[in-house]
Amino acid sequence: MTRDLTVDDHDVDVPLDAIVTTLSARAEPRQRTQRTWYDTFDWRLHRAGLLLEHQVRADHGWLALSELSGRRIVRVPTGETGETGETGTISVETLPEGAIRERVTALTGIRALLPRTSVEGPVTMLAALDREEKTVARVAVEGPLVVDGGGPLPVRLRVEALRGYDKEARRVVRKLAAVPGLRSAEEPLFGAACHARGLRPGEYRSKPEARFEPATSAGDALAVLLGELLEIMRENVDGTLRQLDTEFLHDLRVAVRRSRSAMKAAKGVFDEEERTAYAAELKWMGDVTTPGRDLDVYLLGFDQMVARATDPEALEPFRKLLTRNCRKAHTALNRALRSKRFARLADGWSSELARQDLPGPEAGTPIARFADARLSNSWRRVRKRGTAITETSPAEALHDLRKRCKDLRYLLEFFGSLYDETAHREVVRELKRLQDNLGAFQDAESQRYMVLQYAEELAATSAPARTLLAMGRLEAHLERRQEAARAEFADRWSRFDRGRNRRLFNSMVAAR
Amino acid sequence: MKVLASYSIKGGVGKTTAAANLARLAAGEGRRVLLWDLDPQGGATYLFRVRPKVKGGGEALVRRRRELVDVVKASDFDNLDLLPSDFSYRHLDLVFDGQNKPTRRLGRLLKDLSEEYDVVVLDCAPSVSLVSENIVRAADLLLVPLLPSPLSVRTLNQLEGFIANVKGKSPGVLAFLSMVDRRRKLHRDLVEELPRRHPGLARSVIPVASAVEQMGVRRAPLVEWAPGSDAARAFGELWQEAVNRW
Ligand SMILES: Nc1ncnc2c1ncn2[C@@H]1O[C@H](COP(=O)(O)OP(=O)(O)O)[C@@H](O)[C@H]1O
Ligand SMILES: [Mg+2]
Repeated sequence: MTRDLTVDDHDVDVPLDAIVTTLSARAEPRQRTQRTWYDTFDWRLHRAGLLLEHQVRADHGWLALSELSGRRIVRVPTGETGETGETGTISVETLPEGAIRERVTALTGIRALLPRTSVEGPVTMLAALDREEKTVARVAVEGPLVVDGGGPLPVRLRVEALRGYDKEARRVVRKLAAVPGLRSAEEPLFGAACHARGLRPGEYRSKPEARFEPATSAGDALAVLLGELLEIMRENVDGTLRQLDTEFLHDLRVAVRRSRSAMKAAKGVFDEEERTAYAAELKWMGDVTTPGRDLDVYLLGFDQMVARATDPEALEPFRKLLTRNCRKAHTALNRALRSKRFARLADGWSSELARQDLPGPEAGTPIARFADARLSNSWRRVRKRGTAITETSPAEALHDLRKRCKDLRYLLEFFGSLYDETAHREVVRELKRLQDNLGAFQDAESQRYMVLQYAEELAATSAPARTLLAMGRLEAHLERRQEAARAEFADRWSRFDRGRNRRLFNSMVAAR
Repeated sequence: MKVLASYSIKGGVGKTTAAANLARLAAGEGRRVLLWDLDPQGGATYLFRVRPKVKGGGEALVRRRRELVDVVKASDFDNLDLLPSDFSYRHLDLVFDGQNKPTRRLGRLLKDLSEEYDVVVLDCAPSVSLVSENIVRAADLLLVPLLPSPLSVRTLNQLEGFIANVKGKSPGVLAFLSMVDRRRKLHRDLVEELPRRHPGLARSVIPVASAVEQMGVRRAPLVEWAPGSDAARAFGELWQEAVNRW
């Protein structure tokens, strides 16, 4: 249990001496403290009920892991500066071994730990003692604190309970609450520090969350949807530019893809000239983000792939080349993200696209009817493409089906709130099964293409034969994977296209 | 979770001193440590200023009427908790005896803590008993203080005989010389000679020092308030050896 008390007024002085006496506490000298909380961009620690904090007090530093309730799990001494790299993030490698690393990395996966908020100011540590002079509770008298990028926080007293001494901690809280001018704080320091800079812990989305009323006009609904997608794009730009982790670019790209699907579906809703202009800009965004993402994916999976290779070392020149090209691709991407063209795309959106004076003929259609029609249309297209595929169809046919499936999937996501939840979930699940197969096929295809391309490039720089041979084996392995996916397609398709699923889809649309 | 037991058949050899200091050192490295004072005399509990009292006594813990984590007390040091001694622990033998698989009770109890702690340090009472068998079965490493005397080799051999007779996987044994006075020739000779006769003996030697005795007055581990002292450094080396040994 941790309880925070705070003063009402920024100017109020805390009667420290009186507090020390009532608590029969021992006070340490006043020191300066800096506390920085780390979490991933999508708040993985917070969502798991954990806080990771780097504390510096005078010339000591610690990394502390605690529960949201304030109960500390472990605290490890670190350097004064913390173990952060040049981007200010904490990576798995720099986390001290032990309980923190185990707990944290199991949650963070490939996401980087970013400094989310930090405070600085004076602190006096008090230890409430019992008759044996054993510490039974600690009180940190902290502040006034300056929040990095936010307003100041008044002095607060944080009561830290120690395991097995809850009763004593409650007594301390009671005594402090009786001190004139002190009152219970609305939230713990971490929450207050987040709010002071307009940050809401736990708040993260990678996909639009808007829910629609059936009668809303298609024009309004799509403007909201596209606006939300644009915000997601924007939220991920900074992390992409700084390459904090690879998920920023991933989320950015998916938001672009979703926007393209939405824009395609929006035909007839907006002014057609504006719509096609934005669709073209979004395609451009898709194109400029492709090389960086492809190389990110390749490098992320490289170790795993190489682990299966017979001569892993031979593939090192390949990795070096990939790494170099990845760097180049990100430089080019960053240039695009900093360009006027991108700024225009990001800014012009709401003011131009959703202009009320230039609406399309379908702008006033209720979104429910609009969604029914678009979904049915998309469903028909998927069926038409899928049914046409035979054993001799070229890879492009599957590729094409994959894109149609994506469109359908995004439409299902956008308009999910308009349909029966169970039927909707079931349709998505069935579609996902098909998409997984098409994805496996396509991934192997594009990776094979990349191996071939790079082999040529390496051959031109007279790379050792060993490397080229190893890449040849890699290509063969990818080919087998692709063939396996291809062989499975017919089954997956006939499962997806069975009568039950067709009825499921029709009843989902009809039942609304 | 690793279980380290500070154990000897004899009393007054430095078990509690070692347990308290090693527990503090482990915690200082960021490991979550629980020190369980199994000695009804409560030496370790006293050192950490905790009340030597467990509600319901040892019996409530063994019979699982009370969970171990519910009687744990935080020490004054980061990452270090204490499970206090209780006078009733003097009957722990009888309590274990009433259970099925009586030599495995302690190990089973400690399993409950494996999510909570990285290291458990057991500070044991001097004896050869059912409790000792439990300790041997539960521990990954026994830390055995030896007084520098010609008899200590025999003590160690006896102990190893005892361990070999206990069922189950045997723990590692890290015996070390405790309270060594380098001014005395006998001690110097033994420090030279014993490792040759007992290759598994720790290379770290704990010197006799008035600072160690002061622990009882200061009521805090030596490594906390005199980290630069010879004895504290020796405990640091001993801790490293323990980590390498399990
Ligand atoms: N290295 C040492 N130098 C001086 N005194 C010591 C040393 N180690 C232990 N002592 C003292 O010897 C006594 C017994 O030590 P203790 O650790 O309680 O042994 P045990 O737990 O084996 O009974 C204590 O008073 C302790 O202060
Ligand atoms: Mg003892």
